[in-house]
Amino acid sequence: MISRLLSAALAAGFLAAVVTTGLQLSLTSPLILEAERYETRDAQAAESRSPALPIVHAHLQRVHGGHDHGAAPDAPREWQPGEGLPRMAFTGLATLIGGVGYALLLGAVMLALGREPTPERALGFAIAGFLSVALAPGLGLPPELPGSEAAPLAARQAWWLMTAVATGMGLYLIAIRRAAISIVGGLVLIVAPHVVGAPEVAATKSELPAGLAAQFAARSLAVGFVFWAVIGLAYGWAWQVFGRGRAANGPARA
Amino acid sequence: MTTAIQTLSGTRTNERLSAIVLAAFLGLGLVFCAGFAPAAALHNAAHDFRHTQNFPCH
Repeated sequence: MISRLLSAALAAGFLAAVVTTGLQLSLTSPLILEAERYETRDAQAAESRSPALPIVHAHLQRVHGGHDHGAAPDAPREWQPGEGLPRMAFTGLATLIGGVGYALLLGAVMLALGREPTPERALGFAIAGFLSVALAPGLGLPPELPGSEAAPLAARQAWWLMTAVATGMGLYLIAIRRAAISIVGGLVLIVAPHVVGAPEVAATKSELPAGLAAQFAARSLAVGFVFWAVIGLAYGWAWQVFGRGRAANGPARA
Repeated sequence: MTTAIQTLSGTRTNERLSAIVLAAFLGLGLVFCAGFAPAAALHNAAHDFRHTQNFPCH
């Protein structure tokens, strides 16, 4: 069972990464590169006004593509992939790692709830995953281009995590438990993070055109949806395929 | 016969539990590496993926 789950998750993560990397490179990466041109201009202006903070410094190096623009000499140079092909390759690698990770979590949840993964059922769970980690956190913290700085990272990560967990739990209570009381509890869980409120969204001035940011947010959610849909469909398919060979060895191994 | 079935289902329950724990642990670890790990090198490598998949970044 363990190897069936791991194999199915690897296959699903790989397929999802192939599809999603193509979409990221053609839809969202060009917008990120475009935004970094504005960010570089902003950052250079800021740099000339005040000494770089460590976090700003790390960011500047990301932005400057490895060129040193007179940053603080004591800060070590952070590694980053070269522009062009290496950067695309690492985006693909990160997508693969994230895809396999999400597929493993999908498999763990379906196994824990005793749901036999078929493509249809796994797609349902994957859509719940998309709602939990992409759409719900995106309501408070919309997908951002580089350069639109917001609240401190730790606060945003904490809110993101809390929203993802609460939405997932809420969907479980509503869609799996289905009792009246759990549906109410589920709705409360889903709404609560938004009542509490996300850390303040960027109110800073940026030369980044609003159209660019809006286009990025929409494309990013669309790419996220495809990512999860492929993970779900492929996981259900791969689970069935990897189960077929084992059925001959006895149901206990299934 | 009954004992055999109980043993079988006991083994399957244990195997199921360990599969769930292993997959959840590995999955959380991988998602953390790709989406949250604070190390600058990891952040830079996964930068475009994090922005697109709406992980809080920077």
